[in-house]
This record gives sequence, structure tokens and C-alpha cells, in this order.
Amino acid sequence: MHLIDIKNVKKGFNDTLALDDVSFYVRENEFVTLLGPSGCGKTTLLRLIGGFEDLDEGAIELNGHSLVDIPPYDRAINTVFQQYALFPHLNVFNNVAFGLKMKKLPKDVIEDKVMRSLAQVRLKGLENRRIDQLSGGQKQRVAMARAIVNEPKVLLLDEPLAALDLKLRQEMQYELKDLQRRLGITFIYVTHDQEEALTMSDTIVVMNEGKILQIGTPVDIYNEPETKFVAFFIGESNIIPGKMLADYQVEFEDHQYVCVDHGFRKNQKVNVVIRPEDITLKKTKGQLNGIVDAVTFKGVHYEIIVYVGKREYIIHSIYPKVKGDKVSLHFDPEAIHVMKDV
Amino acid sequence: MFKKSWIFQLWLLVFIVIPIGLMLLSAVSTFSVLNPTSLEFGFRALEVLRSEVFLRALMQSLKFAGYVTGLGLLIGYPVAYLLARSKSPYKRIWVMALIVPVWSNMLLRIIAFEKLFYPESILNMFGISLDLIGTDFAIVIGMVSIYLPFMIFPIYAVLEKLDPSVLEAAYDLYASPFKRFVHVVLPLSYGGIISGVLMTALPAMTTFALPERLSGGQLLLIGNLIQNYVMRTGRIDLASSMAILLLVVMVIFYRTLLKFDAEGETLV
Ligand SMILES: Nc1ncnc2c1ncn2[C@@H]1O[C@H](COP(=O)(O)OP(=O)(O)OP(=O)(O)O)[C@@H](O)[C@H]1O
Ligand SMILES: [Mg+2]
Repeated sequence: MHLIDIKNVKKGFNDTLALDDVSFYVRENEFVTLLGPSGCGKTTLLRLIGGFEDLDEGAIELNGHSLVDIPPYDRAINTVFQQYALFPHLNVFNNVAFGLKMKKLPKDVIEDKVMRSLAQVRLKGLENRRIDQLSGGQKQRVAMARAIVNEPKVLLLDEPLAALDLKLRQEMQYELKDLQRRLGITFIYVTHDQEEALTMSDTIVVMNEGKILQIGTPVDIYNEPETKFVAFFIGESNIIPGKMLADYQVEFEDHQYVCVDHGFRKNQKVNVVIRPEDITLKKTKGQLNGIVDAVTFKGVHYEIIVYVGKREYIIHSIYPKVKGDKVSLHFDPEAIHVMKDV
Repeated sequence: MFKKSWIFQLWLLVFIVIPIGLMLLSAVSTFSVLNPTSLEFGFRALEVLRSEVFLRALMQSLKFAGYVTGLGLLIGYPVAYLLARSKSPYKRIWVMALIVPVWSNMLLRIIAFEKLFYPESILNMFGISLDLIGTDFAIVIGMVSIYLPFMIFPIYAVLEKLDPSVLEAAYDLYASPFKRFVHVVLPLSYGGIISGVLMTALPAMTTFALPERLSGGQLLLIGNLIQNYVMRTGRIDLASSMAILLLVVMVIFYRTLLKFDAEGETLV
């Protein structure tokens, strides 16, 4: 049973097609992330689900019922806005209580729920603060509390952590994920930060230019990108053109390698993806030999650029190398990811 | 920082403190700028504040200022709201249409109304003949049309600046359009309403040209009394007494309004 169904949705603004035939579904309690570069249509999609834009074509369903003619104030969906959009004339308590008051719940119930959700986002004691007396992280938590207090079926989050500094962002990523698990609310989360998407999501929807490129678990998306774009976007990668000689046999850089991919045509042109951390460097000669061009210390590892002929390879290693070192590149069959050349 | 406050304080002294001080002095003594040496103190001039003519003028002034402010708000708020919400490409033209009349001389506009309100006017061309001079209606129409822009603009400015995502958040949190207006839009525009009320009510309290022209010289508001005492009978002391009372009334009004502005900060 799908909680949300997005079916062939199209949405244009004047001359730009913001969403071009987008379809996917969301299951109950799932943490789905919409991931893609700036301007790819993530916010537009979220606003369609929230009811803040009208779609041109297609359907959006919640529990099998169309949402198209339902205004946002009648949808069992809440949003955490990118800039929080807190009510400046209300204090923390009344911001969080707003939705419950609109639903005319009894006063003591409201009080109870508000205090509970403030505790959930660790804001107890701040209920009488004015909004302009809060830090960025605290505002973010108020925005969260204001949404979750309504116990929506679906929570939409548009880059909720984008305005926070790195450390706070990582902390909040963990907290958000934890909150989602405890509350059992379905999250549709927008970000353009691939690391954030990989750490938090059950499912990632990768988008570009209004289209969905790939849907999968973080592991799938990372290890088996279907297109060059996804491979690039999901993290630094080495992408090498090659061809499939047979099932489990791929050729690139004029060498043959055993791989785990199959189902391609004989001699089909492909792209081979090898992640920087899957390559090990040895001093002895091997099949692929190159020269170290640059070494940068990145904290946990060294980023090493090696030239094999004219092609640049990026390698992550915990062992330093020196510019000019002669090295050979090694990787397991499992590290070779073959994708169609499109 | 120091330099700026120095200039400000000088300005305050020359244009506010000294004039009000002189007014106070005229009210409680025989002080005259022409003859500053013969100074005798006394509170006789303040007696005028108990006179019937003054009290009637005060009540009339309050009445008309009340009408104008109330009507101005009733008309001005919706206009400001529609203007601010409007996505029409002609929006700027509408805003201009409201500004341009303010640029033309106020006295000129008052006289224009006066001409139209007599039975014989250019309106006869259209078979219309008005006989409004001397009626409360004429005064209210005149005042509202002159002060309306001062009600609209502060409200418009506030509504225009409302964060659209805050309005969306209200929808997101189950507020219907009506509830959103009551619980979000209206409270967030209090600052504009208060500015608008002040900018309408205070000038309406002190106007003198408009009541004189549109009442055929019959209606006496406080402004008219003060003007008469200064220009016709030369009783600066009586005029000063009234002006100071007016000042006190307006300051009290202003302070009361500020209390209504929950945050006290929306108004600068
Ligand atoms: N109200 C609008 N009017 C016109 N064009 C719009 C509007 N909203 C979005 N667009 C266009 O639609 C496309 C998708 O925009 P959208 O805001 O959904 O991108 P996004 O993926 O959220 O980007 P970002 O990561 O920068 O927030 C863009 O080309 C944008 O210019
Ligand atoms: Mg966006």
C-alpha cells in the first residue's frame, strides 16, 4: 500500500518545464529524499504535494485519494519551510500551538501536546521566548515542533538544515532521523547535499532538470549509479569508457577485467564507475600504471590524483604518496560498476 | 555616533523644545516676542479651556477626526490589502494613482470640493446639482478624500512586506483564508494600522482650512479657533493654551495606541 502516489506529474512556469513526467511513490514510515542540483524542481515537487502550487498534468494521491482539489489547510500534510517561516508575532509556544488552535482542540490538550513536542525537539523552557530571540538551530527546532505536533501523515521538509553550520547540521541530521523513527511519520525530504541524502534516507530520488534519473536505496544509488550524472552527483568518481565483452567481462583502458555485471549486449559500449576509496595503490607494476600528480590531505584520508596516460584518476587512501611516484592501480571485481553509456 | 546625536539634539531644541517652551510661556504669562521685557505670570488664559466655544470645538474636532479615521480604516485597509496582494501588471499605476493627488496642493483640492458642493457648479453640465456646503457629510467626504492616502500607505507598506512563506505556513497549519486573515495577516499589520490611524487622526484634529471652506465658515474646529485667535484677535495666549491642550490630548492618544500594538516594535 502506497501512502503517496505521484503519477506522471508535469508542471511548467511560463517557459520553463519545472517537472517533466515525474512518477514515484512513498510508503508509510519511509524517509524519502529528493536529491538533485539547484533548479532541478525539488521545491516545486514538494510544493505540489503540500498544495501550494497547482499541477498541469498528472495526479497526486494520498492513501489512494486524489489531492488535486484539496487546499493545503485540508491536507493531512505539514511542511517545514526552508527559511522556517515562523510567525513573528507569536512566541514559541503559540507558534507550535497554531495548527492545534486552528483545529479547535481543547485548551488542555493543546497545552499537553505542545509541551510534549517541545520536549521532543529539546526546546523545553523556551516556550515563552519571542521568535527573534532564538538562534538558527532553535528556530529550526521550533519549525519542526510546529509541524510534528499536528501528527501529520506526511511531513515535507525543504532543505531544513541548509541554513545551519556544518556541525549543527550533522547533529540535526541525526536528530531528525531519530525523530522520524520514533514518531513513525513519513518524511519527504529535499536536499542538494548528497552526503545528507545518503546518511538519512531509506530511499533516494535523484532528479535533474525536472526529471527523475534514479530511485533506490542509498547503497544502490551509491554503488550502482545508472547514469554518469548520478555517479558524478553522488560523490567523486572515476568514470571510464569501456565495452562489455561478455557477461562478467568488461574491457577498459585496453585491459580486460572480471566484474559482477551482466545482461549487456556483446561489445556494448558502457561506462565504468570506480569509487576513489575502492582503488588501492601499489609500488609494483600492474595492469594500470600511472604517475602521482597531486596529493591533498583531507583529514581522514589523502586525496591522490594519478595520471594513467592522459586519464586522471582520483584515489582516496590513508597512505600518503609523493608527487612523481610511480604506482599501479588495483581494485576488486566488486568495485567495478558498469552502466549503460547514455 | 556623537556627531549625529549632536545634530539631532540641536534640531530637537530649535524646532521642538524652544517653540513649545514659548507656547507654554505665552499661555501662562503676558510674554510677547515683540515686548519680551514685561513679563507677568498668571493663569487667566487657561480659563479659555473651560469656555463653551472651546469645548464645543474640541468635541467637534474629536467627532470629525473619529469619523475620518474610522471611515479611512474601513476603506483604506481593504484597498491596501487588495493592492498589496495584487499581482496585476498595472499595480504600480494604481499605487501612482493614489500618490499623485497627494502631490497637488491640499488647499487647491479643498477649494475644488467647495466648488463642487455648491448648487451652481460644473456638475450642472451633467444635470447634477449638489447642496452640501455646511453639512457634516461635506466635511467628512472632504477629509476622507484628503487623508485616505495617509491611511493606505503605511498599511500597504506593511502588507507588501509580509513574508509569503509565513502566509503559506498558516495555510499549511489548517488556517482557512478567513482564519489566516484574523490570526496572521491582521496582527502582522497592526503596526501599519497604527501609523495610518496616527497619520490620519492627528492632522484631522488640527485642520482648519477644510472646515472653513466646506462649512461656509460656520463650523469651528479647534484649528479654526486657534487660527482666529492668532490671525484675527492677536490673542496668542489663548491660542497657546488651546494648542498645548491639543498637544496633551494627542500625546495621550498616541501612547494609548502604542499600548495596543502588542509587540510595541512594529511601529518605528
Ligand atoms: N514561481 C516560479 N515562477 C517561475 N519559475 C519558477 C517558479 N518556481 C520555480 N521556477 C523554476 O522552476 C525550476 C525548478 O525550481 P525549483 O525551485 O523547484 O528548484 P529546486 O530544485 O528546489 O532548486 P534549489 O535547490 O535551488 O532550491 C527552476 O528552473 C525555477 O527557475
Ligand atoms: Mg528549492
